[in-house]
Order: sequence, then structure tokens, then C-alpha cells
Amino acid sequence: MELSPTHIHLLLNHFPTVAFAVALGLLIFAVIGKSEELKEASLVILFLLAVLAIPTYVSGNAAQAAIMNTEGVSQARISDHESAALVGFIFMEITGFIAWLGLWQARLIKRIAAWCAPAVLVSAILTFLLMANAANLGGEIRHPELFGNGDAASQSAGSTFARAVGSFVTNNTWVWPTCETLHFVGLSLLFAVVLIVDLRMLGMAKSISFSALYQLLPFGMLGFVVNLITGMMFFISTPGQYIKGYAFASKMVFVVLGGINVLYFMLFDEPWHVGTGDDAPLTSKLVAASAIVVWVGVLFWGHMLPFIGQAF
Amino acid sequence: MWDFLSQLEQTGFCTWVRESTSLFAFPGILLMHTIGMGLVVGINAGIDLRVLGIAPALPLAPLEKFLPVFWIGFWINAITGTILLAADATTKLANPDFWVKMIFIALALINLRMQRNTLFRVAHADKRPLTTNDKILALTSLFFWLGAITSGRLLAYVGPVSGLETLLR
Repeated sequence: MELSPTHIHLLLNHFPTVAFAVALGLLIFAVIGKSEELKEASLVILFLLAVLAIPTYVSGNAAQAAIMNTEGVSQARISDHESAALVGFIFMEITGFIAWLGLWQARLIKRIAAWCAPAVLVSAILTFLLMANAANLGGEIRHPELFGNGDAASQSAGSTFARAVGSFVTNNTWVWPTCETLHFVGLSLLFAVVLIVDLRMLGMAKSISFSALYQLLPFGMLGFVVNLITGMMFFISTPGQYIKGYAFASKMVFVVLGGINVLYFMLFDEPWHVGTGDDAPLTSKLVAASAIVVWVGVLFWGHMLPFIGQAF
Repeated sequence: MWDFLSQLEQTGFCTWVRESTSLFAFPGILLMHTIGMGLVVGINAGIDLRVLGIAPALPLAPLEKFLPVFWIGFWINAITGTILLAADATTKLANPDFWVKMIFIALALINLRMQRNTLFRVAHADKRPLTTNDKILALTSLFFWLGAITSGRLLAYVGPVSGLETLLR
């Protein structure tokens, strides 16, 4: 069986919905049971689900293109689903960001801060409700019997939220170049942190201890957030040119790898033993080298969008 | 001069850069230019942000060891930038935005030299408290690189624009 864009979307969409519900349940359980380990575990899972939500969201537009002319598929329903998913996606990313920040701080103060679990809990519950709504609308795309009345399908979806964002980008000529410039600024900020942290682990400037490097991580995350926002502006305005070919899909795979990569430096004890003048252990060096490869890979696939695999 | 530039553009190499469908031509050279930008701005911005107070536990003096990475990025971009300019000389040199970019880069380089002398090449660099002057140089550095990135990106949008950039917008 060939893995079509629709299959990929249907596979990935279980993460922000089903897996997210499980992670939310785990967090509630951890808060009630006052378990630090379970809290930490649920924060890690919520962060990873926020990372996976990025390819999940963008695969939706590829799935839309694949079933565009299929009988019984309502374009209005797809537009409603797209906008509901975008709202859910925004909250999902906020939840993931708060969870990541809590995890980052937990390393420094040796416990999960008091603010963290309630903040993540509130954000996650909102995300869950918004995602349930998006999933519900998504399910109706191929199941017209669920909303019975055929007229309901053709109604609504005049100017949806996602398309309004798209029009804002395409109708204002200054928005695209501004986002491109900010995308480069975010890239530079992310590279600043990736280069200093990972080249140190590989042996450069050994007088810097790992605990000193650790303070830089939120600024790398800030660079990533700038690029996630500006990148989504590009994608939402012209999804058609990204879903062609494999360059953008490859970029998404590398983004997920980058999200997994940073967790090594936050969760594992090994890099923390690297003090002033110490040589990093082999595992830390391999992870550091892979971080550089992964982020240059993200840059590579983004840059090659107009040149490889018919995109643009 | 202008004749020379048109002839330069028409040389076999420059035509290959512009017109070849090989990924090693325009796409690859521009890719290296972007990676070089990441190294150059990344390293300098890392030093600037540390001076401005982020990551206070991070010792400043050892950051000098990262300057060779900056210079690798700089030479990658000097070479790839020269190739991209030669392939598009008459258009680029007629664009005021190109000269704005060059001025920003020159200012940023002078700025970095001043930072190197005041931050790293002083006695007890690791113990000296940071001065207002250090912070001003960090801010101007960030401003000059932001200017270079912005004017560089706008080369595809303002002034005379060649067919090459329209691919990328």
C-alpha cells in the first residue's frame, strides 16, 4: 500500500488528539498524586506532542489536496476543520512551550516549579477542547451522514480564520518580506545557541561548563518560536507550494528530530557532569554533532524548497 | 566599467551559476551563503547577547575561542557573495540596497574588531566588569547585523531585481 498524504495525516492526527488526551490524563493524575516523576514525564510528552503537531498540521493541507476532487467530500467542511485545527494548533504550541520552559527550569531548581503544573494544566485543557472540536470537524469531512442535512455542509466556511490569515499575508506585500527577514533573524538566534552549546560539547572552548551553556537554551527556543510563527505565516498563505514534492516534508522530519535532540541535554545527567575543562562523554559529543547536522538539515530543506522535488 | 561587468556576467562560469539546473550552481552557492550567515551572525549575536546580560553564568572570555567559526562563516560568505555578485553584477551594483548591505557589513566588522579589543584582548578579560561601552557595542553589533540581514533579503524586492531572486519570493 502506498502511503498517501491522507494516510500520513490520518496517522499523525492521533498524536495531538488521542495521545494528547492520555498525556493530559497523566498530568492530572500526577498533580493529584503529587508525583514529581509523573509530572516530568507528562511535561516531556506534552512537549513532544507539540513538536509532532507541526507535521500533523501541515500534512492536513496535503491531505486536502489529495482528496480535493473526491465525491462526497465537502470543501466547506475542510475549511472549517482547517481553521479549527489552526486554533487548536496555536494552543498546542503554547502548551508545549510552557511545558518545555517548566522542564528547563526544573533542572536548575531541582524540582518542578509551583507555577508550572497549574499553568500547563489550564493550557492543556483548553488545547484538548479546541483539538476535540477540530477532530470532530475533521471526521465530518468523509462522514457526511454525521451531519445529516446536506445543506449544512455547503454552508459556513465563507471566510474562515486560516484563510483570513492567508489573505493577510498575500494581500499585504510587506508581510512576506518581513516574515522572511524575521525567519533569518530567528535562524541566526537558533544558530547562536546551537553553535556555542554543541561546539563546546565537541571540544571547543572547554573552560565553559555545561551548566553555564544550559542558560542559553531558552534563547535557542526563542529563535525557534520566531521561525515557527513566521514559517506558519508562509505555509498558511500558500500551502499549495509547500505540499508538492518532498523538500518540505523532509524539513518537518528534521524539525521533529531537532525537538527530540534538545531533550537529551535537558533530561540526561551525562552532560551535566561536564565541568570547566572537562572533555564531554562520547554520547554527548554524538548528540551535539547530530544537533548541528539536524539544524543545518532544517536550513538545507527550507532553502531547497524552490529547487528540489517540484515545490514552488 | 559597465561593459566589463556585462562581460563578466556573460562568462561561462557566471552563466553556469545563473542558468544551470544543477543544485551546485545557484541553489548550492546561495545555500552556503545562508549557512555562512548563520555562522557569522550566530557567533557574533551569541557574544552580544551574553554582554547584554543573558546567561550570566556563561563566562565571556572563552567565547573568544568561537571567533574562528565566525571567520569561517565570513570567508564562506565573502567567496559565495562574490560569485553571486559576479553572476548578477549589473543589476546588483545598480541597486542602492546592495550598497546599504555592504555598509552594514563593514560597520559590523569594525564593530566586532572594537569588541574583540575591549572584551577579549585586555588584561583579566574574565574578571573585568562589563561597562556601558561594552553594552553599546553589543547593541550596535546586533543592529548592524539586523541591517545586513534585512537589506540582504530586500535585494529580492527593492531597486532593480533580476530573475534569480524572483525564484525565492
